[in-house]
Order: sequence, then structure tokens, then C-alpha cells
Amino acid sequence: MLDGYVGGIVTLLAINCVAAMGVSLFTGFTGIFTLGHAGYMAIGAYTTAILTVRYGLHWLPAIVAGGLAAMVFAYLIGIPTLRLVGDYYTIASLGLGETIRLIIENWNSVTRGARGYPGIDSFTTMPVAVGFMLVLASGMFFLVNSNFGRAFKACRDDYVAASLLGFNTAHYRVFSLAISGFYCGVAGALLGGFMSFIQPVMFDMAKSTELVSIVVFGGLGSMSGCLLGTTILTIITEFFRPISQYRMLIYGLVLVLVMVLRPEGLLGTNELTPAFIKGLFSRGGKQPDDGASS
Amino acid sequence: MNTLIQQIVNGLSLGSVYALIAVGYSLVYSILLFSNFAHGGFLVVGGYICYFMLRSLEAGIWISSFAALIGAGVCAVIVERLAYKPIRERTSVTLYMLIASMGMSIVIENIFVVTIGGRFRALPPVVPMQPISLFAGATVSAFDLLSFVTSMIFLAALQLFLSRTKWGLAIRAASYNLRTAGLMGVNVNRLISIVFFVAGLLAAVGGIFLSVRYTLYPQLGSMITTKAFVAAVIGGLGSLPGAVAGSLILGLSEMLAAGFISSQFRDIIVFGLLIVTLIVRPTGLFGKSVGEKV
Repeated sequence: MLDGYVGGIVTLLAINCVAAMGVSLFTGFTGIFTLGHAGYMAIGAYTTAILTVRYGLHWLPAIVAGGLAAMVFAYLIGIPTLRLVGDYYTIASLGLGETIRLIIENWNSVTRGARGYPGIDSFTTMPVAVGFMLVLASGMFFLVNSNFGRAFKACRDDYVAASLLGFNTAHYRVFSLAISGFYCGVAGALLGGFMSFIQPVMFDMAKSTELVSIVVFGGLGSMSGCLLGTTILTIITEFFRPISQYRMLIYGLVLVLVMVLRPEGLLGTNELTPAFIKGLFSRGGKQPDDGASS
Repeated sequence: MNTLIQQIVNGLSLGSVYALIAVGYSLVYSILLFSNFAHGGFLVVGGYICYFMLRSLEAGIWISSFAALIGAGVCAVIVERLAYKPIRERTSVTLYMLIASMGMSIVIENIFVVTIGGRFRALPPVVPMQPISLFAGATVSAFDLLSFVTSMIFLAALQLFLSRTKWGLAIRAASYNLRTAGLMGVNVNRLISIVFFVAGLLAAVGGIFLSVRYTLYPQLGSMITTKAFVAAVIGGLGSLPGAVAGSLILGLSEMLAAGFISSQFRDIIVFGLLIVTLIVRPTGLFGKSVGEKV
């Protein structure tokens, strides 16, 4: 039905969507900027790779284990850094991604170091990736509309008011980070199965920046906006692969221009519901203009 | 014993350069309450201006450094006008400025990558590097002493500026409450421009020394900024004496780790110090209380 190239892009898109949903929950819904989520992807990818290759585990439990490993790690990092109000997690996340990468590069006996980890079964076929994306996306939509989701948004909008209403805001921030780590871990595991080869360099700072740009572009606080943003940016970067040296420059400009011109991103806090689309057309077909796509 | 003294001198010299950057960052943080990630960009701008003045125009080191300081200061003011002013005039959400600053840092870095290339450049030999024997038979390089002394002179000058001048008083007032300072008749926009100019200028001093110590390349800024941010957190976010103390501690522990354990562990030590600080004393050495009041 779909040939190899298009199928590959769809698979990659689904993987990016899973990772972007994780970052969107943390940055968009809980309001804390992160630059280290590629580190959680690396943990998920390596856990899954080692479990499947060395211990011969089936890929499905291995992917879940990869996600859980990233989740536990995120939880442990979150406890000291998210208790405080301020940019503490953001600063820690800068070092976090790099530290995880350094540990993987130097722990030769387990991770095979900087040369990468070859020989992973290519278990991430298109149906697997899209299936994971759909299951995790519906989970995420239920989560952000649940009590937990409302608590996250309350902590983002006014943590003083939220704590006066009896929410333990620090607890919710750590919880949000843990779930976000799980999503990124699963995305990393899927990426490993897709490439059948992983390398510490794949999970560097540029990857973290890419994730966060996608979320900002799609709209902070909108899950469907984040999926839309992922789709648009993945396709655009695929088209502009020949001029890939400008790739990072474009991501940087997206961050600045979106913040200056339209800080709420493509969709703002709106979700892409039938009512929202109808609302768009009743206002004279006014499209949500994205000032940053130029 | 000699190695120990040498590493301590190296550490103090590196730490004092970190201090120049951390102080500028803390100054901006104390006024606008966001982490200016583009701060590392100013450092790189200063380094490249100095490099091209020395190489292409064959100007002397004094003129080149002066041009670098002014250029980086002006660049910081321009970045503030273009990216942060529109945001801070419209909303009080500091997350937006944080994201925009991350974007600016990527933009500055990649403008250098696409225009003059990402290769490593060494400054011409304009700074004395010959070894100087100290007491007890230890030798240190003249460069280390020079960078330590120069950094201390600039930090003392900043202290004088903040404590003795009218604008210094305004800046100290604004660090308690920017709004109230504005109501008391301080021209807030000019104050913020001055703060950014000073921060850019100090970053350029650090940038020149760092491009002599390491070489000059576009990513130098983001590598150093991470460390300066960690130093600022160790000392207490937003506190200037804290930033200096944190930087010296960081420089010393980094150099001692490099000298006695392995230089591979430098960055892991930095991150470890950050986490330990956040667990043991979250406000840092000199920080105001930022813990959540529940």
C-alpha cells in the first residue's frame, strides 16, 4: 500500500509524535522548560536494545521496560530539582542530557560505548509504531482531561493558587515529569527498533531542542497542536533535507518568532475538536495564522 | 604537591572566568527572573570580534578586546530589544522569554556555523603564555595569572558600579521588584538595556580568555553557559557574590577532577555538584529562599 520511503516517514512521524507528547505534557501543560528529554529517549532506547539483544526478551515487554526505566530515572531527577520554584529543572536538564550521553559513552561493557549498539531487531514496523502512537495518544488525551491534567494546568498557571486549593504542586510536577519520561523512553525504544542501530550521538542536545521546538510551534498546552506541529515540522525537515545545515537555524528561529509573534503557538490551548474547527469557519474562515512558518 | 598547587591555580583561573559569565547571567536573572540562554552567544560574539580584529585588521590586543567588549554589549542590547522586549511588554510569563532566549542562543550559534563555518580557530599569540615559577617550586602559566587578575578587576569594577553609581542603585532596587522600581521613576527599559550591556561586556571578557584557553568555535558558548548556570545555582540563583563563589568552587573541582581522576569525569562532576547542591541546600550558598511556601 505504502512504499518503503513513505512508510519510513510515517513510522518516524509516529515516533516523533510519541516523544513530542511527552515533552508537551511537561512543557505545555506543566509549564517547565526542558532541554534534556533526549536523555530519557536514550535510556529507553538502550534499555530496550540491551534487553532484546543480550537477554532475548520479546520486543513488546522490552519497549515497556524501556519506558519504565526512563520514567524511574525522570522521577529520581525530578525530586531534587522540581521542589523549587524557578529555573532549576531547566538548568539541570541542560547537564542531564549530556551526562546520560557521557555515561553511555563510557560504560563500554554494557552499552558498547560511543561506537553504538548494533544488531537490534527491526521490530518497529509501521503498524507497531502507529499502534503505539494511537494507544499512547488516547491515554494522553484522557490524562490531560482528567483530574491530574487539571492539576497540571493549575500548577502551570498559578502555583500559589493551586497550592492554596490543596494541590501538592511539587508532587504534581514530579509526576508530570515521570509520565513525560515514560513517553520519551518509549519513543527512544521505538527509534532503536526502527533504525536497528543506536548511538549516543543520536540523543544529543540537538534532539532535545528539536523536541521542544516542535512543542512550542504546535502550541503550549494543546495536545492536538503538538501532534499537528510534529507532522508539519517532520514533513518540512524531510523536504529540506538537502539544506540540512540550516536545520538548527530554522528551529532556533521558530522558537524566537513563535514567542515574539504568537506565544501560544499554532493552536494555543485549543484542541482540534469539531467545535473548534466549526468556530474557525464561522469567524469568516479565519485560519490560525502561524507567523513562524516563514 | 606541585601538581596540586598547579591544579588549584588552574582551577581558580578557570573559575574566575566562569564567574564573569555567571555574574552577567545572575544580573539578568535577578532583574527579569528568567534564565537567559543566549548569554553564551554574547561570549562567542566577543570572541569572534576579537579574533577578526586581530587576524584581518591586525589591530593590537587592546583595541581588539575593547571592540569585542563593546560589540558583545551592543549585541546583548539588540537581542533584548528584538526578542525579549516584545514579550515582556505583553505578558509576565517568564517561560516565554526563556524559550525565546533558547531560540536566540541557537540562532546566534548557527549564524556563525553557516557564515564562517564551524571549524576551531586559535587566536594569534597575543597573550603571554610562558611559565612562571611560584614559591615552593610550582610553575603556573602567565596566562592563568593574567586571566585571574583581569577577571577580579572586572568583578571589582562591577561591584563599584553597583554600589556607588545612581544606575547601580536603580539596578539593585529593580532586583527586589522591577515594577516598584518603575513606579519610583526608574526608566525600566533603559535599565534593562544597561543590565544587558554590562552582562554582554562581561561575557566578552570571559569569551576572549576562553578562546585562548580552549579554541574558538560556535558551540563554545553553550558549553560554557551550562557551567556558568550551574555555578550560579550552586552560589544561589540571582545572587552576585554567590555566582562568584559558585564559579570558583566549580572551577576548582573541575580542574582537580581533571588532574587527579580523569578529564572524562569533568562534566559528570559538574552535574553531580549541581544535584548534591539541590538536595542538600536548594537555595545555594547565598540564595534567597525560593522554596515553596505551602
